[in-house]
Amino acid sequence: MSTTNPPMPEIQLEPGALRHLAEAQVNVELDTGDMILNLGPQHPATHGTLRLVVRLDGERVISADPVIGYMHRGYEKLTEYRTYPQVTTLINRIDWLSSFANEVPFVDAAERLMDVEAPPRAQYIRTILTELSRIATFYLFLGEMALQVGALTPAFYSFRDREYVLNLIEAATGGRFHPNFNRIGGLKDDLPWGWISEARAAMAKILDGCDEFEDLVVGNEIFQARTRSIGIVGGELGAAYGMSGSNLRASGVDWDLRRDGRPYLVYPELDFKVWTHTDGDSYARYWVRLQETRESARMVLQALDQIPSGPIRAKVPLIIKVPAGEAWSETENPLGQMGYYVFSKGATGPFRVKIRSASFSNVSILPWLLRGAYVPDVITILASLYFILGDIDR
Amino acid sequence: MGLVERGVLSKPAVKPLTWLLNYSRKYSLWMFQWGLACCAIEMAAALAGPRYDMMRLGVIPFPASPRQADLVVVSGTVTDKMAPAIKRLYEQIPDPKYVISMGSCSNCGGPYWDSYSVTKGVDQIIPVDVYVPGCPPRPEALLEGIVMLQARIQNEGIGNTELAARWQGEPITVGGADA
Amino acid sequence: MPDGAPAEPEAATLDPAQSEILATLEAELGEGVIEHTDALGNLVVRVRPEAWRRSAEVAKAMLGCDYLSFVAGIDWLPAPAPGGDDDAGVEPSAPVQPTEMTFGAAGSEGRFQVFAHVQSTARHHGVTLKTDVDEAKPLAESWVSVYPGADWHERECWEMFGIGFDGHPSLRHLFLPGDFEGHPLRKDFPLLAREVKPWPGLVDVEAMPEPDPEPEPGAVP
Repeated sequence: MSTTNPPMPEIQLEPGALRHLAEAQVNVELDTGDMILNLGPQHPATHGTLRLVVRLDGERVISADPVIGYMHRGYEKLTEYRTYPQVTTLINRIDWLSSFANEVPFVDAAERLMDVEAPPRAQYIRTILTELSRIATFYLFLGEMALQVGALTPAFYSFRDREYVLNLIEAATGGRFHPNFNRIGGLKDDLPWGWISEARAAMAKILDGCDEFEDLVVGNEIFQARTRSIGIVGGELGAAYGMSGSNLRASGVDWDLRRDGRPYLVYPELDFKVWTHTDGDSYARYWVRLQETRESARMVLQALDQIPSGPIRAKVPLIIKVPAGEAWSETENPLGQMGYYVFSKGATGPFRVKIRSASFSNVSILPWLLRGAYVPDVITILASLYFILGDIDR
Repeated sequence: MGLVERGVLSKPAVKPLTWLLNYSRKYSLWMFQWGLACCAIEMAAALAGPRYDMMRLGVIPFPASPRQADLVVVSGTVTDKMAPAIKRLYEQIPDPKYVISMGSCSNCGGPYWDSYSVTKGVDQIIPVDVYVPGCPPRPEALLEGIVMLQARIQNEGIGNTELAARWQGEPITVGGADA
Repeated sequence: MPDGAPAEPEAATLDPAQSEILATLEAELGEGVIEHTDALGNLVVRVRPEAWRRSAEVAKAMLGCDYLSFVAGIDWLPAPAPGGDDDAGVEPSAPVQPTEMTFGAAGSEGRFQVFAHVQSTARHHGVTLKTDVDEAKPLAESWVSVYPGADWHERECWEMFGIGFDGHPSLRHLFLPGDFEGHPLRKDFPLLAREVKPWPGLVDVEAMPEPDPEPEPGAVP
């Protein structure tokens, strides 16, 4: 090529001028009406069947109205027609990524009503499996949020490394997810031989993988430009909306039910750090979850060192009748605070179960949060809040 | 073109041509991403996971719109609120199209068989070719379902009238008195 | 401990944190607090319907309860008898609940109640508040002005129970399609699939496989 372009003229612009140019209206006389855009219920970016009706002025969102219910399966009515063990089978499909963690608060409530305590080995195994499901969920998030922002490679890494954790869960419980492993009074079975050393090897791989994500995604300039200062939520407003879990901790609220709530499982005996971030933007939510993944891997290693031997189920009758009463049991699930308010009248099944799911409240902040955002930022914010439709719609 | 509609390709004389057409069709299925619930995670593991890797079978999950797809895998619970959307998207896919129902929720309602808001099986709305049972089915089970579908595609129009029926979007009768 | 006595105000022993919460509520609401109890570590306080929103304001401002966990409803009507127990010996396909109407912790005045749980992220305590809802005219005060997150919870409560919320910006369907008739979580809303056929898992339709025939003596295994 022999042609050379003439040199570009030097244009001096103040730093703020580019932003003004981007926001300038095209032509004052071109008065356009608002456009209503329907995102979903089938859309690669909505993580399930969420429909978001946004009203746009050009690229800016004026108002957003999430329409949910496309995955409403009527859980609270179904629990009234099932016995306690049958309910355990059903509820691990609420948050379908961290299935084991959904069963724990319900079984905990039923055990407290029956005044039965699971033996220590069962509590340790429950803790380990809960943390493994937390790692599985967060690992998917780490790859999938990067995918929403535009990077394809981290998604493959996350699916590859997730297989190690799913192998462990499958070896112990028989199911990759939806394990249905909890029983009232303990667990169904003991761990297979050799599981503990496999788990240690898998956790080492997870910790390496987290370092990879730290380099590949968190340190990436494009990722930072797309997520910093996007979707800022203040801690007080988030709590008033009922936002919980990593979302609230990313807004600076230092609250973790594993440490601060009623003591459950073996968390009082483990030594772990609760990660918070002050910014409250999408980057903070990603960063907090990455640190929590590492922390969960370390907690699993600690629990594997401390696990006692012994029985894995307390003595309970064959037909389980839970005495009358009500119990509220809440846990720090991967998506946030999950709780079950169980009303019992002494029958073999519950009278009413109120399921408090984390994503329901996390998503209720969207009408407030999305006002004034640009359309690509809507995708980033949805990805960073990390909801599961089964958890919203129950 | 009309060769298929006119029944030319079902004649025994052009069997190698039909075989070649089916061979190339079965190894270039464009799958529409229709993940609804938990089964979608297993479907994603089958697609994106290096261990199961559906793309080596020729199934590519990235059509830009339903109008460019020819396979839809319904994975997850179908609710009454979602059913019209499924029907509308299914109608947008051009013929010949195939449907795999993955998981027990879309096979028959699954664990929510008594719910007031769940459609008991996606075959109440759209015709299904392959049912993959499980809750959720392992990624290998989905791969087996796809291989079964590919075997079905290979045999279309060879000794039966399925090829023309599929091209024109007519319902396929399975079994029957002369099977 | 099993709470067997229905609708009896219990002189429950509260720990210091719970006593403090109760004292603040009683000081601010006065006559508004009807009953209280401790349900397995959870403080449950029943307030009058006209003090419902005020109790939320007191919890948020004075008890430091900045976090709204949920707002939900409950229908105390006895559950309908499951189908399939006509013949003697046939197992019912669903759990059999007692047929008399009893109420839970802190009692209830009637069929419907609205209950909510709020917590404090800083002081690590929480309280469950309950209020009665009149069956003839189901209406409760809305909490949206105190906790903005109550918006969706109250929409769900209206949709599932038919309880209206006074002061809510727009009570419309959340989960169910717009043309759905009825309020599903009410006990008199029948689950039609269960009425039409019992749970298929009760009766084994397929016969068990025949046991393998005995091997002949002298045959190679």
